Amino acid sequence: MKKIVVLAVLLLTAGCSTYTSRMEVSRDLYYEGQYQEALLSVNKLVKDASDNDIYLYLLERGKIRLAYGDYDSAIVDLQEAERRFHEIEKTYSVGEFMKSSLISAEKIEYQPESHEKILINAYLLLAYWLEGDVEGSYVERNRVNNRLQQYTDQLSQADWEKLDVPFARYLVALLYEMEGLNDDARIEYDLIRKLRPEAAPPEANSNLTEIAVFTEFGRAPVKVSREIRGYFDKKDGKLFAVFLVPGIPQPLIFDAGGAGGLDLTDPGVIFTFAYPEYQRQPRQVEYCAIVIDNVEASRTVPLDNVEETAMAAFKKKQGSILFKAALRTALKTSAQTKLADKGGAVVDILGKVLSAVERADTRSWQTLPAEIQVFRMECEPGPHAVYVRYYGEGGRLLGTSPSCRFKVEKGKKVILYFPGPS
Amino acid sequence: MKKWFLLLICLFLVAGCGKPATREIDIATDTAEDADFSSADLAKITDAMINSMEANGFYQKYAGQHGGEKPILLLAKSLLNKTDEHIETRLVLEKIRTAMMKDNMAQFVDDQAFDMALDQLNLQATDLYDNSKAARLGRFVGAKFILRGTITNIRKQDGRETINFFNVTLDIFEVETLLIKWTDEVEFKRASTKGKVRR
Repeated sequence: MKKIVVLAVLLLTAGCSTYTSRMEVSRDLYYEGQYQEALLSVNKLVKDASDNDIYLYLLERGKIRLAYGDYDSAIVDLQEAERRFHEIEKTYSVGEFMKSSLISAEKIEYQPESHEKILINAYLLLAYWLEGDVEGSYVERNRVNNRLQQYTDQLSQADWEKLDVPFARYLVALLYEMEGLNDDARIEYDLIRKLRPEAAPPEANSNLTEIAVFTEFGRAPVKVSREIRGYFDKKDGKLFAVFLVPGIPQPLIFDAGGAGGLDLTDPGVIFTFAYPEYQRQPRQVEYCAIVIDNVEASRTVPLDNVEETAMAAFKKKQGSILFKAALRTALKTSAQTKLADKGGAVVDILGKVLSAVERADTRSWQTLPAEIQVFRMECEPGPHAVYVRYYGEGGRLLGTSPSCRFKVEKGKKVILYFPGPS
Repeated sequence: MKKWFLLLICLFLVAGCGKPATREIDIATDTAEDADFSSADLAKITDAMINSMEANGFYQKYAGQHGGEKPILLLAKSLLNKTDEHIETRLVLEKIRTAMMKDNMAQFVDDQAFDMALDQLNLQATDLYDNSKAARLGRFVGAKFILRGTITNIRKQDGRETINFFNVTLDIFEVETLLIKWTDEVEFKRASTKGKVRR
């Protein structure tokens, strides 16, 4: 009977929500280009967010607002999140540590990865620029520069190649060029050239009349919670561990007689080992092309593979994530055995419930693209119209972006930003 | 066990009972909260710049050459902000303008009142107003000098420590000649360290 209850608890709690599942609707709407609907959905998440997640939701909303063209509000959201992430950087909270060790991995305030922190300022730069606040965008350029130094200067060459954010560098370089600081721009372009030789322009030239287009496509990878659940059982005086592994219909049963020093007088100890796994998201867009004044000018050039950067950053931290997950499993299992001997039934039940609801921390900035590409072209001063054509497998045209009309003055540069589909 | 349980409940109950605390801060003795640009820096910059102008004697010299007339200045739209902070730099210039006018050093043309003044003049020129008492057209005074400047910072971040160096340079140049009549700089460097443990 007790076994059936334990099994039922495990099955019932297996579907509890994670950050990735809560973001699903907003994420889908965003990548479908339904920004208004995505905002409505994410607004609800912001309203209901816990103190641990609120700033991450603000990042998501800031990014959606940027895509929607609501630059003022995007700045408010991104800046608020940036301020908090800066405040808590390299600090620890004892309470949160306890809660995240005992209750859930998501009970600790979200701290973004370094590339995410750099991207916050890169998107703020874009928001200021697109809003027409040139001075504000120069300030953000300086902030991006600081962040790049802070997070990438200490990296080894191999790590730098994986974790740098060339998109942010390109924006910095472009704004230096616009301010007439060609030497500073050249330094950044030289670094980009080492990572993406085809993306860097041959030289920095403040006097050229140019259009620079940034296109995003594909979905950022998302973390999912993987759980190995099970319980300990006693049969004929022998201890067995019963594992319920996702994807395997039959439980796996192991003789755990001598392992772990578990001496069960009462069966029904639940355990869950939950760990996050980064999943690449399916891509429809293979490449895109820029159409200027109704003429397809050229394909965009790969600039920043955000997906690869996220995967590399995760891989670097995977060891410590797994260690913490194992520690949590051990604590919750111990609550039902050794601690239960001292604490009684309350501790035992608490241990069972906490083990059953155990989920991995699946938080990450999920409205980021998989890839950012760039297109740059010298043009005649005057009015122009630009849109993007998105192509899928075999060169099949998947769709186009809305057209953007603008005027370029002689000797000036125009920046265009097209957040794209998946 | 019961005692501990009761204590825990009491702690939860009183946790939200605190009254929001408000206190007045004396601006004169205000200090910076962290390594970023702060309100305390405004007073520091204004005092240093006004002292420098007085020591330079530019406005006394001008008054001597123009029969006691004070120089007419215009503020630049803002300081050129080369920092990595979104600072309301106009405030620096306005504080200096206020101090200069209080000290009777110069007259200022209001660079932001042009449209408002023009609207009033046009309105007063209509029959709605008593034309004999209306403000007259053609009496705007052009500035002879412009007060402008740049604010720059260099920030270093090392773990939880931030070191921030600021330089504020101001100058007054003559519109007719482009000659700089006065210039000075204020520099300060500040380090702040965050605590390891947060609430």
